[in-house]
Amino acid sequence: MKRLVKTLVLVSIILGFSLILAVASEYFIPGEAVRPLAVFYLSTTFNPWIPHLTVNSPEAVTAIVWDYRGLDTLFETAVFYLALIAGIALARGVSLRADPNSEGGLSVIVKTVTRITGPMIVAVGASIGLHGHLTPGGGFQGGATIAVIPLVIIIAFSVFFVIGKGVTKEKMLVLRSIGLVGIGLTALAALIIGLAVGKTAYVIQNMAKPTSEVSFPAYFNGSLVSGTLWFFNLFEMIAVAAGFTIAFLLLTYPEKKEGENA
Amino acid sequence: MIPPETLVYLFMAVAGIGSTISVYYAIFEKDLLKAVIFSAIQSTFYALLYFLLMAPDIVLVYLPVAVGLIPGVLIILISKTEREERVDEEAG
Amino acid sequence: MISIEFLNTYLLSIVVFSLILNFALSLYGLFYRPHYIKKIIALTILSDTANTFAIYIGYRRWISEGGVNPRPPVIPTTEVTPGVLSEFVARSVDPLPQALVLTAVVIGLAVTIFLVFLGYQLFIHYKTLDMRRIKKLKG
Repeated sequence: MKRLVKTLVLVSIILGFSLILAVASEYFIPGEAVRPLAVFYLSTTFNPWIPHLTVNSPEAVTAIVWDYRGLDTLFETAVFYLALIAGIALARGVSLRADPNSEGGLSVIVKTVTRITGPMIVAVGASIGLHGHLTPGGGFQGGATIAVIPLVIIIAFSVFFVIGKGVTKEKMLVLRSIGLVGIGLTALAALIIGLAVGKTAYVIQNMAKPTSEVSFPAYFNGSLVSGTLWFFNLFEMIAVAAGFTIAFLLLTYPEKKEGENA
Repeated sequence: MIPPETLVYLFMAVAGIGSTISVYYAIFEKDLLKAVIFSAIQSTFYALLYFLLMAPDIVLVYLPVAVGLIPGVLIILISKTEREERVDEEAG
Repeated sequence: MISIEFLNTYLLSIVVFSLILNFALSLYGLFYRPHYIKKIIALTILSDTANTFAIYIGYRRWISEGGVNPRPPVIPTTEVTPGVLSEFVARSVDPLPQALVLTAVVIGLAVTIFLVFLGYQLFIHYKTLDMRRIKKLKG
């Protein structure tokens, strides 16, 4: 009862104070026009009439994240990787073993429903991730959606079952490394091709620029691929999903009582 | 009827007030499990606000992260450590 | 009577003020609540509210004549004519704050996962997660 009274006081504070602010003309509301920088990004993101300044991707946010400001996203992936390494270093000494005689987990109904909805979630996540250059989505969105499934499987079955099936920390680390190496190679691909052929090229280059002629294909067999954006999305999705699986495996493993963990 | 612009702003105001009530319940709750659930409710109101502000990329990032992964990790930590928060002991 | 313009301004002021109140409540929770997990919850609320401010700045109002609504920054087709492109530029919201918020959400998630690992090691070492008692134990 006391908490309900406090909630009503909070709501009336919000309504009354906003009324005072609106009457006194001291508000901040957005305008009707966007900034010139936004006009530049919006008008060059898919513009077939200026083929040396466009990104060939109808999705402006993915083009900004992986092409106009690709270096920021490279560093963000590095920060995520370092946080995961710090977590693994804190959990050193935990050696994950499979315990075959434990019949843990939840009931049969939960296990069956998890078996049905698991592939569905993976399919939705892959669709979000691989279509990031056409619809809202992208690498990290798809990876985070796929990463829900290991958590559900570890809780519905038990963590020993998952380790017994072969999903261990080392294999997930290999997958994560494959994703990161893929991102690095795709960032350097235009430069390597330019050095091999003998033309000017830049690091993290997607389409042909006025001073460089090396370009990734924008269309592949008639469908829009947008050059490096598709590869970036694919490798980021693999890396993010594998990283989250490692974190969940390390967190849910029950510790022994004496002398075995750090 | 109500003009459509005012209707959209009305939904935004409802999402804003709902999120503030959820934040108040989440901070001042002693049982940590209920606090995590209130934090997930606040994240749902924020996701509705992001959708009304025309940002679909952010909705697709925010929904798995703040409603699925963060409460999941926090509940695993609660099950391995304490569950109640004691405020009325010796003052810090 | 109250004009429509004043009602629109009032509703948007409610949104901004409730975000400011979220910020203040989460700062109080971060400083004055003694449990470690409550601090983590308050930190996630704080960073999410800062991201919402950024996206709110990138919004665009309905154009006065004609009453056309703003649109997300995605072109719906792949066959663009100059008319489609100019309408897209005239009606779409700002895509740059959304790209920056994407990075910020990922970094916030990475920090939270690391804090959870750290909290578990704290519990193993001190047998409690109450920060006042940890402060008194002095290692």
